Amino acid sequence: MNLSVSGLSATRSGRTILHPTSLDIAQCEYIALVGASGSGKSTLGHVLIDNLRSRGLRVAHVPQCPEEALDPLRSMRFHWHETERALGFDPGSTDKKTLFTALKIQDGDLQKRPWAWSRGMQQRFVIAMALISAPDLIVLDEPTSALDPIIAAATMDLLGQYRKGHDTAMILITHDLGLAARHASTLIVMHNGRIVEKASTVEVLKHPQTDAAKSLVAHRIWAAMPC
Amino acid sequence: MITSLIGLILRAAVVLAGTALITFTLLWNAPGDPAQAIAMARFDALLTQDIINQVREEAGLDAGFWTAFITWVGPLLTLDFGQSSVTGRDVWPDLLTAIGYVTPLAVGGLAIGLALSFSLAIVATRRPGGLLDRFAIAVASLGTAIPAYWLGLLLILLFAVHLAWLPAMGARTPSHIILPALTLGLGVAASLTRIIRSGILEARDQPFLSAIRRRGVSPKDISRDHIAPHAAIPVVTVFGLELAFLLEGVVMVEVIFGRPGLGTFLVNAIEARDFPQVQAVVVLTALIFVTVNLIIDVIYRIIDPRIGGRNA
Repeated sequence: MNLSVSGLSATRSGRTILHPTSLDIAQCEYIALVGASGSGKSTLGHVLIDNLRSRGLRVAHVPQCPEEALDPLRSMRFHWHETERALGFDPGSTDKKTLFTALKIQDGDLQKRPWAWSRGMQQRFVIAMALISAPDLIVLDEPTSALDPIIAAATMDLLGQYRKGHDTAMILITHDLGLAARHASTLIVMHNGRIVEKASTVEVLKHPQTDAAKSLVAHRIWAAMPC
Repeated sequence: MITSLIGLILRAAVVLAGTALITFTLLWNAPGDPAQAIAMARFDALLTQDIINQVREEAGLDAGFWTAFITWVGPLLTLDFGQSSVTGRDVWPDLLTAIGYVTPLAVGGLAIGLALSFSLAIVATRRPGGLLDRFAIAVASLGTAIPAYWLGLLLILLFAVHLAWLPAMGARTPSHIILPALTLGLGVAASLTRIIRSGILEARDQPFLSAIRRRGVSPKDISRDHIAPHAAIPVVTVFGLELAFLLEGVVMVEVIFGRPGLGTFLVNAIEARDFPQVQAVVVLTALIFVTVNLIIDVIYRIIDPRIGGRNA
């Protein structure tokens, strides 16, 4: 299903942090949203989710860090069942074993509260919650910043496979141009609350058009790039 | 959990032992001759030195400090408070009568306080900064500023004198409890409202709530499952202090409304220098206070086990 939104905007304390923005997302498209800190990436992610949700679409969200996703007073099992209920399943009826094994958190004690798990495990638990039902879109906000490189790579690969298997579109919000280049087919560059460039990943990396994109590409420090 | 529970109980025991020792020391060293006061309370007549000495011997006041302390503390461990040094009667039955009067008053005051403060705080936090919120804060501030003895007198003036709806003095009928419980409850409500209100507002600011909302959890479920437990932590904390306020307030309110009870019992005992009675009230109060705080500590650890981990 193609997703199309327009007129997304956001202000905070009278300041515009996201100028009116439209976005088209093709079925199964993998978009990376890149830009400097404060360019409005996460904000675009949030208003996009709220907009699509209000239209009855299924959108899953993985916030930047587990502290923004899990209540420290509630057990992991509680979070899982709560999410199942919110998605319309009976608590305990979904297949969490496969997901947990794939994300290597099958040994985590679900009776425990989030802080008894490592941050990396918490983050993968949050990703597992996002994958409970096949959503139309998954928005991943810096999903790997809490993970070590090996787990991060495995998690990103798993998400990529999941996307193909379920026809789910994905938006990856990141500072990490290397990560974006490795996974996403489309790059959206943001600057000062606006989308300034949108093109295929290879195109942006080869021929950045705007200053924002040029400086991002120029300052890349990653060795392995597809171009 | 078990280890921290044992730690908590040990701590409670130390507090109780300290209370017993300090109370006893203070009374033992209080100025004036207790034997003379007791003799006066007993005989109410001209006293000779012989009579005073005889009383001193009977009340065990001629023994050394530690002997007297141990004589008192030993039976106390089995909740035997000994005999009144004035009347010679057991302290416990008289104390029990006082407790019988004070319990409904304290429970009633607490119930009124909790009901009022929760409803006020919930109404106030519907729209923070709105008219209702400001009204609730104003009422709570006013309530904190008004002392119980003044509020009690105002209530008597309004409901007993002008409207003549309710009785003011004594404790003969159940309706006699309404005005004193209201006085006590309004004081409790005033301080609790502010705590519950700020607890709810703070809980609503938790960083994970918007992610949970985006997972599709309904606002009602979020309030019940996430906001309420976070808001409960400061409320539970203050509840222990509130109990101290309640025990203190009860004494004052009893005097204002001329009710028999713990306050009257204590004041009479102090005037007569009836040490066993005074000590019994102090130890019992400390026991209640320590027990409630022990329960609060356990509730804490159930809501948020990290608290136990840090303290243990």
